[in-house]
Amino acid sequence: MAKITLQNIAHSYNPGAAEKIYALNSFDMTWVDGGRYAILGPSGCGKSTMLNIMSGIVTPSEGKLLFDGVDVTNVSTSERNIAQVFQFPVIYGTMTVEQNLAFPLVCRNYDKPVIAAKVQEVAEALSLEKLLKKSASKLTADQKQLISLGRGLVRDDVSAVLMDEPLTVIDPDLKFRLRRQLKEINHKYSSTLIYVTHDQNEAMTFAENIIVMDEGNIVQVGTPAELFERPKTTFVGYFIGAPAMNFIDCEAYENKTVRLGDVMITTDTDMSSVKSKRLKLGIRAEYIKIADKMGTNRIPVSIQRVEDLGSHKLVTAVFNGLNLKVKADRDKLILSEDVYLELPPENCCLYVDDTLI
Amino acid sequence: MSLFYSTLKYLVVTLWSIFVIAPFLWALTTSFKDFQSVTNGATYIPWVDFEPTLDGWRSLFKSPAQGGVAIVEPFFNSVIVTAAGSGISIILGTLAAYSLSRFTFRVGPIRNGDITFFFISQRIMPPVVLSIPFFIMLGKLGLLDTLFGLILVYVVLLMPIAVWIMVDFFNKVPIEIDETALIDGCNPYQAFFKVVLPNSVPGIIVAGMFCMIFGWTDFFFAFILTFTEVQLLPVAIVALNSSITPWWSLSAAALVSVAPLVVVAFIVERYLSKGNLSGALK
Repeated sequence: MAKITLQNIAHSYNPGAAEKIYALNSFDMTWVDGGRYAILGPSGCGKSTMLNIMSGIVTPSEGKLLFDGVDVTNVSTSERNIAQVFQFPVIYGTMTVEQNLAFPLVCRNYDKPVIAAKVQEVAEALSLEKLLKKSASKLTADQKQLISLGRGLVRDDVSAVLMDEPLTVIDPDLKFRLRRQLKEINHKYSSTLIYVTHDQNEAMTFAENIIVMDEGNIVQVGTPAELFERPKTTFVGYFIGAPAMNFIDCEAYENKTVRLGDVMITTDTDMSSVKSKRLKLGIRAEYIKIADKMGTNRIPVSIQRVEDLGSHKLVTAVFNGLNLKVKADRDKLILSEDVYLELPPENCCLYVDDTLI
Repeated sequence: MSLFYSTLKYLVVTLWSIFVIAPFLWALTTSFKDFQSVTNGATYIPWVDFEPTLDGWRSLFKSPAQGGVAIVEPFFNSVIVTAAGSGISIILGTLAAYSLSRFTFRVGPIRNGDITFFFISQRIMPPVVLSIPFFIMLGKLGLLDTLFGLILVYVVLLMPIAVWIMVDFFNKVPIEIDETALIDGCNPYQAFFKVVLPNSVPGIIVAGMFCMIFGWTDFFFAFILTFTEVQLLPVAIVALNSSITPWWSLSAAALVSVAPLVVVAFIVERYLSKGNLSGALK
C-alpha cells in the first residue's frame, strides 16, 4: 500500500506539436492509502488517461508521480505494483483460472506454496474456488471480470487497485453484488481502490470520495454528499444527480438576495465579494417545495408535465420560459393552476461564471 | 421452397465436388496403369478396364539408371526448403508484425501502415522481376544450386505473407492483454512470449499454412536458381514430361506432391473457421 501523489501532472498526446492538445491539464492530487475513490466524468474527459498514468501504461508529458514520496514517473509498469482492471475482462485465454490468478505471482518469482495459498484465498473471496481448474476462456463475462480483479488482489503489496469502468459488461443484478464485494475487499485488504466510471450511481454507492472530471480538468473532489449539496460548478450540478440540478439566471440584488425576474429570493450565500451582477441560482429538484399561494422565496410557475415514477412524482414546471424539475411525494396532489415553488435559502447555490460562490 | 433450395444446394455442391475430385481420381487410377492401359484409349475402372500395377509407384524410388524417376531426394529437398523457409518467415514475420501492431514507427512521412504495405508490396511485384537480381546475388554469394540459397529466397517470398496475416491478427488482439501482462509483472518480452504469443497460435498456424502452400508449390524460383545439385519436387515432376511421358510415374509423383498439403489442410482446417480465431482472444 502506498500514498499516491500526482504533482503537476499533465498529459498531451501530441507533445511535440506547436499547439499541444491536452488530454489532462495540469493538476495536483493525493490518494490516501486505503481510500476508496471514484473518478467520474463524461467520455473523453481524461479519466482513463489519469488511470493509465498511475499504472505506467502512459508516461505523463509533464509532472511527477510519487508513491510514498518516491518518484516513480519513469518506473516501468511491472515495477510499480499497481493492479488494473479494464472495462472489458482481460483474461489469459490459454490458461486455467488458477493459472490466471497465479500469473502475477509467478511473474514475480514467488514460491509455489505461497502462490497456492494466495490463489486459494483470493478464489474464496471472489467465489471462484470451484472454477479454478477450468479454462479461463470458457467462463462468462462476469466470471472473467472477477478473474481480472482477482489477479489484482492476489498480490499483497499492490500500491492501488485501479478499475476502469469494470462493471460495464456485468448485468445489473450482479453489478450491485460486485460493488458490495469490492467494498468488502477494500475493508479486508485495506487497499486503495480507484474506480473510473461515467455512471454517477456507481460512483456514489462505491466511493468515499469522488473526483469529477470534465475536459481534462478535475472539477471537484468531494464526498457524494458534498457533490450533491454544493456542486462547485454548474457542470457538476448538471452531471451529478438525477434529474440534474435546476439552474435559473438571476441578478444580484442585495448581499444575500437575488432577483429572478420580478421575484426576490433570499439565499444563505454572502455575495459581498462578487462583482458581477449576472448570476445563476442552482437548486436540486429534491429541495424545491410545491405551494399553492405566493410567499417568501416562492416563484409562480405553470405546470407542464407530471410523471409518476412509482417512488415519487417528477414535476416539470415552467418559470419565465425555463423548465424546472421538482421531485414531489407520490401522494401529493399537483394542481395545474396557481402553483408556486418555494426555494429554501439553505439549498440555493449561487454561481458566477458557472463557479460556486 | 426450402426443399427446392436444399436440393439445388446439394446438387451444386455435388457437381463441384466431382469437378474438384475427378482429376485426383484420374491421377490415382493412372498411377496404377501400365504403358498399354494408358496409350490404347481411355480406361477407367481397375480390374475391369485394366489390370492395376505398382510399376508407377515403384519407379518413384528407383534411380533413372534403374528405369525409375527418383523423386525421393527432390521430395525431401522440398520438405527442407519449405519447412525452413516457412519456419524462419513465421518467426521473423511474427516478431515484425507484433512490433508493427503495437509500436508507432515514423520515418519522415512513412508510418506503420506504409511499412506493412512495403512488406506486402514484395508480393505484388511479378516474380520474374526478382529472378535476375536473385540469380546474380546468389551467384555472388556462391549459393546458386544450394538448399541454403533457396531457403533465403523463400524467406524473402514468404515473410510478407506472414507479416500481413499476423499484423491483422495482432491488431485484433486487444492491447489491454499486453498492458495487463505488464501490470501483472512481465517485462515487454515476457508479455509477448508468455501471454500474446500463446493467444496467437491460431493466427500463426494460418500464416504457417499459407507459407507452406506457397513454398511447397513454388516452381519458378526452384527452377531458375537450381541446376544439377539440388532439385525440388515441382521441378523434378515437370522434368518427367519428356518425349515419352511415363504417365503412371508422373501421376504417382503428382499425388505424392499434393499429399502433404492435403494432410496440412485437414490438420489446420478447424483453425480456419472464424470462431476459432476470435475465441482465443478474450
